[in-house]
Amino acid sequence: MSNRPTAAALGLIACHICGLVSPRTATLLRGRCARCGSRVQVRTSRSTERTLAWLLAGMILYIPANLLPVMSIDGIQGRQEATIFSGVSSFWHAGAWGIAALIFIASVAVPTTKFIALGHMLWSVRRGALTGQRERTQLYRVVEFIGHWSMLDVAVVGLTSALLQFKALGTAEPRAGIACFCGVVVATMIAALSFDPRLIWDGEASNG
Amino acid sequence: MSEVAHCSYCGAVLARKNDRTTAQLLAVTVAAGIVFVIANVTSILAIEFGGVRADTGVWTAALSLDHGWMFWAALVLAATMFLVPLLQIILLLWVLIFASVARRAPAYKYALVLLHLLRPWSMSEVFLLGSLVVIVKLSSWVHVEAGEGIWALGGLAILLAILSRYDSRDWWDLVEQARP
Repeated sequence: MSNRPTAAALGLIACHICGLVSPRTATLLRGRCARCGSRVQVRTSRSTERTLAWLLAGMILYIPANLLPVMSIDGIQGRQEATIFSGVSSFWHAGAWGIAALIFIASVAVPTTKFIALGHMLWSVRRGALTGQRERTQLYRVVEFIGHWSMLDVAVVGLTSALLQFKALGTAEPRAGIACFCGVVVATMIAALSFDPRLIWDGEASNG
Repeated sequence: MSEVAHCSYCGAVLARKNDRTTAQLLAVTVAAGIVFVIANVTSILAIEFGGVRADTGVWTAALSLDHGWMFWAALVLAATMFLVPLLQIILLLWVLIFASVARRAPAYKYALVLLHLLRPWSMSEVFLLGSLVVIVKLSSWVHVEAGEGIWALGGLAILLAILSRYDSRDWWDLVEQARP
């Protein structure tokens, strides 16, 4: 096992809100950070349960988000109900591969990566995995970083339906799928924020 | 040269040497406030067809999602693209104006805690990318004009990115250097 010191071994604890490092016992007895007054805990309470709940909510909402249309466009060629996937494929067939890839990444790759990554983290914390902690912590930071980019499609649908309001040319209206997709983004972001990455290292502490 | 401290366990950035002075940070925040106002009072995208002009910004994009139960998606869009960036700028202005005269702003503790909690929900740069996607999306069909707002939005995204290089601990250190 490594001989790197931990905050616990040094009798210290850090506040997750303001970053102040203070004496462990006194801070935990008080339960609050001396500087910013936020709650300080050894591990965020019920972190895995809350992460799992939000993650499942996101996964369930992802089904209607993909099955239901996100936008309906009434144009000269009649009414078109666009889903997330049909949006990606129409850009692809029109030869706009860059945009197709961008929307695919934001609407499909990012949410599914978050599902897999957070699910994997919860599962490995549960079985107390002792390998790959560093990689899993880095994965957690990636999930945190990419989280909000999925809002791209929501912004695109909002802007398009605000702009395209011409009877002679075409009108666009948002459909239920986009609200479900917005729910996916919010739920998975809360799932990531609920997860306490310190849990990843707990196997080492108890075995070390 | 940038000096960075990394966690010996996971490699995360623990602390970064920040050379900017309070006056410089205040200048960046004021600039962010100015481009925020421009981005929200001018049009971001516009279409002209048959003598009729339609333009859109953050607000109209959010309002267009407001259909029955879907109103909450409109709320999320308005919050992440408008309200959160606005609050970030106001809170930073508050603490930095006092810090620039070597004072701690009243209620700075609440301001800094709130700033930390708001940070993941600030999405101006996503809205910028969304606007660019819409230009490409509709351009095969109709001419879409990029308004002044899109440049302001680009400026806002860059300025907020500069400010978000400073984490919660940096702001606490900066504010608490001053006398109470």
